[in-house]
Amino acid sequence: MTTDTTEQTDAGGGIAADRTVSDPDYDDAFDAVVVGAGLAGSAAALTMASASLDVLVVERGTSPGAKNVFGGVLYTPTIRELVDVEDAPLERYVGEKRFGVLTEDDETAVSIQPGAWRDDPHNDSYTVLRGDFDEWFAEQAVEAGATLVTETTVTGLLRDDDGTVVGVETDRPDGTLRAPMVVLAEGGNSLVSEGADLKERPERGDVAVAVKEVLEFPDADDAIEQRFRLTGDGGAAYHYFGDGAVGDAFGGAFIYTNDDTLSVGLAYRIDDAVTTQPNPAETLDHFKSHPAVAPLVRGGRTVEYAAKTIPEGGAEAVPDLVHDGAVVVGDAAGLVLNNGVHLEGTNMAVESGYYAGLAVADAVASGRTKAHALADYPRSLESSFVVKNLEHYEWLLNAVEDDRDLLFSELPRAVADAGAEYFRVDHAPKHDHAANAKSRLFETVGGWRGAAKLAWRYRKVIS
Amino acid sequence: MSNTPSTPDVENASLEDRLYTVKYEDPGESHLDVQVVGFCVERCTTDDCVDVCPADVWRKDEDGEPVIAYENCLECGSCRFACPYNNVVWEYPENGSGVTYQYG
Repeated sequence: MTTDTTEQTDAGGGIAADRTVSDPDYDDAFDAVVVGAGLAGSAAALTMASASLDVLVVERGTSPGAKNVFGGVLYTPTIRELVDVEDAPLERYVGEKRFGVLTEDDETAVSIQPGAWRDDPHNDSYTVLRGDFDEWFAEQAVEAGATLVTETTVTGLLRDDDGTVVGVETDRPDGTLRAPMVVLAEGGNSLVSEGADLKERPERGDVAVAVKEVLEFPDADDAIEQRFRLTGDGGAAYHYFGDGAVGDAFGGAFIYTNDDTLSVGLAYRIDDAVTTQPNPAETLDHFKSHPAVAPLVRGGRTVEYAAKTIPEGGAEAVPDLVHDGAVVVGDAAGLVLNNGVHLEGTNMAVESGYYAGLAVADAVASGRTKAHALADYPRSLESSFVVKNLEHYEWLLNAVEDDRDLLFSELPRAVADAGAEYFRVDHAPKHDHAANAKSRLFETVGGWRGAAKLAWRYRKVIS
Repeated sequence: MSNTPSTPDVENASLEDRLYTVKYEDPGESHLDVQVVGFCVERCTTDDCVDVCPADVWRKDEDGEPVIAYENCLECGSCRFACPYNNVVWEYPENGSGVTYQYG
């Protein structure tokens, strides 16, 4: 395989001695090829390179992160153990989480800002921009000895006679790359994994479409600090549900504060996007114009518009993680948690890349690459928070789907009405307002009995 | 207290302006296509690809045949999942072409 100026190497790791960096031949030169330099791919590459494997990371973008989009809050418990996050391009730590339920013109919200979040390591939650962060994280893998090739697209997998994966095909001239192990970290739009029958295309009810704008405020330097009441490196993560966020759809919207920009966006199931719901760009316009949202985003200039799909099928939708000669990690493996309160994927991507990297390193060290030799990866993941969380909230996906009108539309309306009634100032005694507020809520949830049933059904959201 | 509107106007950028913010290199040919030409006209009545697309890539002409503005594509892949007939052909744009997100 020949490339031009797109490879980065450290100490010539993995390149055969008779090759130069300007004319490398990567075929059969590496122990493992990683498809995609996102969080999962770079975590796997870093882990394998640290275990003295010769690792090649193949990234289709012009640089790591160029094709990557998220909300975004990065959760760093494992990243912190792998690299020095003090040097990482973090935007702000999350000092406040706010959950707002929106009807067409009301908001009812809960905010938490524990004092401990202001202290290092800030609950391991930071806003980041992936263009910066992913490039930095991939550099850490390169410094650990991995080789990175960009602007190179993996187009398929190579298999030997018994079906074992033995490398990749790329879009480079002479782009065949044989290697004992392939790590598929290609993201949620996983064309290579699906094309090679390592997983099926997810159902559209299990996938969300997401759009996001990054906004800057050229006319007001302190707009973000003022509007979100921020000091220092502190930041905020605002989440929104209900009709005012994503209409009738199953999903939610968000605003995250970066250093000097806002990330504003939303995500909802593709099943709903193809119905009467306006298209994602229009839904985003509508959300930004909500009376409770507009004051936060007004005057913002769009510096980037982005879209992605999110695998949200939960534990049941996770494909086989190991195959003969290959492992699947991150979004490609459907490792995203969305239970309404917790929206996590970055930590699961890193965790899966890390465990996959360890398992591949062990397998390669003993000269074995079959699926059973890689079983430590799924085993470790199953005993980690990744699969435990997905399984714990599996029931929620079905329950919320059954109750969606109640949860996303009727209840938000009732809570807003009840709140307005409870605090109404007029000539009637407060006792009457409280009674009216209570009956407004009860008529929606079905009285004490209905309220108790709902509370019981959703008890595990916070437990 | 004044009588100015309580909700400030938010000037949402047009989709065209939004797409203009994304750095893009044209691969020269479309990375998107339909599997079976004519199928969309004959069988599809829902235009799910059009409804889901955040970037106005998928449009239908008067006859119901898809017109693919691939250079608008943000590479999210939603059309591929949305099509109930699996009639969307989706390939990664090659050699670093397509979108380059600076923020992401």
